Amino acid sequence: MPYRLEITLKNELFDAEGEGVRQKAKNYFGIEIDQIRTIQVITMDAELLSDQLKTIQTEIFTNPVTQVSSFDPLPIEFDWSIWVGYRPGVRDNPGSTAVEAIEDILGIEFGPNEAVYTSKRYCLKGKDLTAENADKIAGELLANDIIQQWKIFTKEDWDPDVGIGLIIPKVILNHNPTVTTIPVADDSTLERVSNERNLALNPNDIPTIRAYFLNKNVQAARALAGLSDPTDIELEYISQARSDHCNHNTFRGLFHFSDLETGQREEIDNLFKTCIETPTLKLKKKKPWVVSVLWDNAGVGRFDENHHYVITGETHNSPSNMEAYGGALTGIVGIYRDPMGTGKGSKLIMGSYGYCVGQRDYSGDFMPHLHPRRLLDGVIEGVRDGGNKSGIPTTFGQVFFHPGYMGKCLVFVTAVGLMPSMIKGKPAEKKKILSGDLIIMCGGRVGKDGIHGVTAASETFSEHTPAGHVQIGDPYTQKKMHDFLLEVRDEGLIRYITDNGGGGLSSSVGETARVSNGCEVQLEKVPLKYEGLDQWEIWISESQERMTLAVSPEHLDRFFELSKKHAVESTVIGKYTDSGKLHITYDDKTCAYIDLDFLTSGFPQWEFEAEWQSPAGRGLFEPVLIEPQKYENLLTDLLSRPNICSKEWIIRQYDHEVQGTSVIKPLIGANRDVNSDAAVIRPVLNSKKGLAFAQALLPTYSKIDAFHMTSCTIDEAVRRLIAVGANLEQIGGVDNFCWPNIQYHAVNNPDGKFKAAQLVRSCRALRDICMTYEIPLLSGKDSMYVDGYLMGRYGESHKISALETLQFSATSVIDDIERCVTMDCKEPGDLVYILGKTLNELGGSEYYENFGHVGLNVPQVRPAQFLTLYRALSSAIENELPASVHGIYRGGLGVHLAMVAMGGNLGMKVDLNLVPADHVDQNDVILFSESAGRFIVTINPKEKETFEKIFNGLPYAYIGTISEKSDLVINGIDNRTIISIPVQDLKAAWKKPFGELI
Amino acid sequence: MSVQVLVLTGYGLNCDHETAYAFELAGAKAGRIHINSLIDESIDLKDFQIMVFVGGFSWGDDHGAGVIQAVRLKTNIGDKILEFIENGNLVLGICNGFQALVNLGLLPGFDHDYKSRSVALTFNDCGNFRNQWVNLTINPASPCIFTKGLDQIELPVRHGEGKFYSDEATIKRLDKNSQIVVQYAMPDGGLAEQKFPFNPNGSVYDIAGICDPTGRVFGLMPHPEAFNHWTNHPDWARRKERLKRSEMPIDSGPKIGIRMFQNAVEFIRER
Repeated sequence: MPYRLEITLKNELFDAEGEGVRQKAKNYFGIEIDQIRTIQVITMDAELLSDQLKTIQTEIFTNPVTQVSSFDPLPIEFDWSIWVGYRPGVRDNPGSTAVEAIEDILGIEFGPNEAVYTSKRYCLKGKDLTAENADKIAGELLANDIIQQWKIFTKEDWDPDVGIGLIIPKVILNHNPTVTTIPVADDSTLERVSNERNLALNPNDIPTIRAYFLNKNVQAARALAGLSDPTDIELEYISQARSDHCNHNTFRGLFHFSDLETGQREEIDNLFKTCIETPTLKLKKKKPWVVSVLWDNAGVGRFDENHHYVITGETHNSPSNMEAYGGALTGIVGIYRDPMGTGKGSKLIMGSYGYCVGQRDYSGDFMPHLHPRRLLDGVIEGVRDGGNKSGIPTTFGQVFFHPGYMGKCLVFVTAVGLMPSMIKGKPAEKKKILSGDLIIMCGGRVGKDGIHGVTAASETFSEHTPAGHVQIGDPYTQKKMHDFLLEVRDEGLIRYITDNGGGGLSSSVGETARVSNGCEVQLEKVPLKYEGLDQWEIWISESQERMTLAVSPEHLDRFFELSKKHAVESTVIGKYTDSGKLHITYDDKTCAYIDLDFLTSGFPQWEFEAEWQSPAGRGLFEPVLIEPQKYENLLTDLLSRPNICSKEWIIRQYDHEVQGTSVIKPLIGANRDVNSDAAVIRPVLNSKKGLAFAQALLPTYSKIDAFHMTSCTIDEAVRRLIAVGANLEQIGGVDNFCWPNIQYHAVNNPDGKFKAAQLVRSCRALRDICMTYEIPLLSGKDSMYVDGYLMGRYGESHKISALETLQFSATSVIDDIERCVTMDCKEPGDLVYILGKTLNELGGSEYYENFGHVGLNVPQVRPAQFLTLYRALSSAIENELPASVHGIYRGGLGVHLAMVAMGGNLGMKVDLNLVPADHVDQNDVILFSESAGRFIVTINPKEKETFEKIFNGLPYAYIGTISEKSDLVINGIDNRTIISIPVQDLKAAWKKPFGELI
Repeated sequence: MSVQVLVLTGYGLNCDHETAYAFELAGAKAGRIHINSLIDESIDLKDFQIMVFVGGFSWGDDHGAGVIQAVRLKTNIGDKILEFIENGNLVLGICNGFQALVNLGLLPGFDHDYKSRSVALTFNDCGNFRNQWVNLTINPASPCIFTKGLDQIELPVRHGEGKFYSDEATIKRLDKNSQIVVQYAMPDGGLAEQKFPFNPNGSVYDIAGICDPTGRVFGLMPHPEAFNHWTNHPDWARRKERLKRSEMPIDSGPKIGIRMFQNAVEFIRER
């Protein structure tokens, strides 16, 4: 029988969680609550004796110093009580660890039908609380109906004996696993089935699929295996493998590009090949440090003689948009599996985040499923738990607010790993599979998680329907697996390894089977979370925290010995063959039998119409602005803008120092509160070699031209690395494209052709800049459907598309971390220099945006010119000349001079007429133009001559000094002082919007 | 004879590599040992002189940080750990390890009672996980082996459940026995007196770490192992620039964080 234990903090203890909810209710909804106390509820659905219950209660679930607990409802006073628990099938991590602890302390083992469920009860006190407010707090603050259920009790209807009752969110499917055969008589039948079953088969693919199953030879072979028409599991496999997510059909598509002004037309066959693969392979030939690119789960670069680093990044947008915490947690934990599955496996050494969301204080008419503020809170917490609980430092991150992300938010996650260059005398980045190797799945179990992603959201819920389409990651299970895999790797037991992400086994086994050219899988061996899954569901489920490995039979015993030691579940589910077939059976009956080469042959290329029109041709123009007069107010207002201001509250929630490798932290300076240009770690503790990492995104420029958006984004990431002292010759890149749908449709996507042209231009910029800067693209991903529909005030729905967005991550090595530089000015009397030229490039700037303008003159990158300057700066840093180096990024010179001063907590006096500039005759242009390729450097006056010699012939200027006085003083072009303001006031403005958040 | 250090790993612990490295810098030999290797007796605790409960998220911190780790160790090898302490060896708990030590009852260890839970580390008052560097002041009267000769130190904290809490009588007793070893302080060295963020979690009496009456069992929330190189310090680049100007040699090599580990290793060598 089930037992329910309620636990709460002793009355005299401060309830930080309850207080957090109370404050959010006030700040978000204006609801005043006097007090909230939180109760943890543990519901044990297991046979337990009373003395066992007592042991569990006192030894595990109740801290005698801080907590009280009871198997009866706790008599905590309230006006309203809200209970929140998971829906059936949602990953309940504390529920699982509770089972482990109970089994351990009692020396028992839970039966297959026994489990522990955790939930919470909040006791709210407040005279003014109404039923409507209680409902709002439950549904919009405490619970998300996609994964959670809740009950609201008033003081009056609360039964002190019954409490919340016994709620058991157990999955009961009552279903016999069934394989269904699908007729392929004609195209329309298959298309109908595809729609009915959410297969999302591309209509253009259907004739190819049919032709295969109608082929006489194929039919004869299938007949021998006992099959005729395709089974559901086969079509699911094909659909998954052909999806844009797995196959990058968009980037491999054929683009019919036309320039509407010149009338010029051209065909671009395969953006991936022409703009990513070919340039990267060319650079790989030139740069021996590039170890492995373009085929594995992540790219590999040389770190030092004995180590390689591994990097990749992706997005987790749609799930995060539905369930922010679970989506982001699953995203970060998921990306961490990619380096684990690269080569023979790597140790995770760093992670980063990028969030693009609607305005945090949005108060317009649109009604998104989650308000941007709640969504942002959720993704922050998801990445926090995912990173911190994995023991991986989160050293860098970005947040960008724009209304275009209200349709769908972007959650970028990036992972960096480290592997020894050799394992048992063989290159660690290489792997192979031999026929006869065993297929092993290890980590978590399989449930209905993530099947067909969000399409399942439209299904109606019953009491025991698993709400599995949105998942909650489990960093604890994955961390155990991570440690386990590194040990088996070092013993040389891994032949091949890959992760189970999108597409589950279908993807991981399907793709690895191509290496040995065949596999046989016994699907009934796959361990399940609960009974009743169909075969196709087991095959494509995206249940998290799983890896797929190829292990030679001779290593099996040792492999399982270590698996047991690390408390990781591993299962042999089949073997690799060289039959050329993907062969799946369930209880000895064949349910899939497909030629592996079928998927690599004969499918039609996707095609897109792309129409380009220049920004001027589209009617964009420079606004007519007469120079401002109140520069001080202007500067403080810009510093307070959401995309500029301090976001310390996010950074401090992330452990950025675990592993003991931190060299340049995300927050630095005299008060340790200003953002560094890049993160630097020392991943090999006994070496002085460092790894630098930085990211950039500048989607606003896409309003003018995605070509320049792309080149400026890459340039910023590169400058961030240069600024800390990273090696310019060893920069590797990761491109993460997030684009709105580019397939033209007259009604649903009328500007699809323009968005397609923006993508083409963006890819060309990527190619051009990376070739000149010599940045091989170590990894990259694309997410092509960043659109959403939002309901407005009258019940109408609007399609909201995101700005064309590229996140660019860059990494490089540093030979001696002790030569690294930070961005904060160091000593009074130091000289302030500007490197690089300022042009009239205010288009898309923060300054224009502050006035609601877009403009036309978007910043442009002149890569060859810039490179000379970057080399000079690198050489200055190599010689330890600069005291501080900081790039000039979004917001322009004014904002970034303020950052340098705030970093050092020192004053600064500069003259704008000394700033190297071209065709600029207004102070606002010099202060706020976002021209690329520029830096602010401060140096010890003693180094003046040596420093200037390095920059001889390059655009640079000495523009002022750091002062003991605590003011930022800026003299305008006509030598009048236009700004004179205490640095503390600048900092107060910069911290104003989010400074109170913790 | 080299000093043998056992650094626990497994089940979500995660500071094992750098903690082992810190002990190696201090001259010991450190092994990262899975909790289950102690339980299945493939590793014998008797072969070690220092046992370290490291930072991390054992069992995901579910049901109270360090709770399930304490349950597992107490249930399976509780006696061996007590014997280890009785034999005059050293036990160190950092962050999650400190949480495990108080849940095991190894701290505060009044009157040789190494089984009762009488102090707790609970949720930060600020309501969130927090990573920042703190100033710490060290009690010179404390018997703690690890902090001998140290008076102040800066270290990072990285936790969500670091608020030290107990009843008044227990705190008084800790104070009387000089078991309060490290306290959160202001940059000038004075106690933080609960002032956020200097006291980052609301710990009573600004307590950041305590030891048992013998000084051989020590637990603290801040991470000394994360200060294993001078560039770990948040101000290192500023400091380097200042030293350069005064033509002083630039620091390098292990820093003050390692002193705690050196003290432990020296104690074992000299006993």
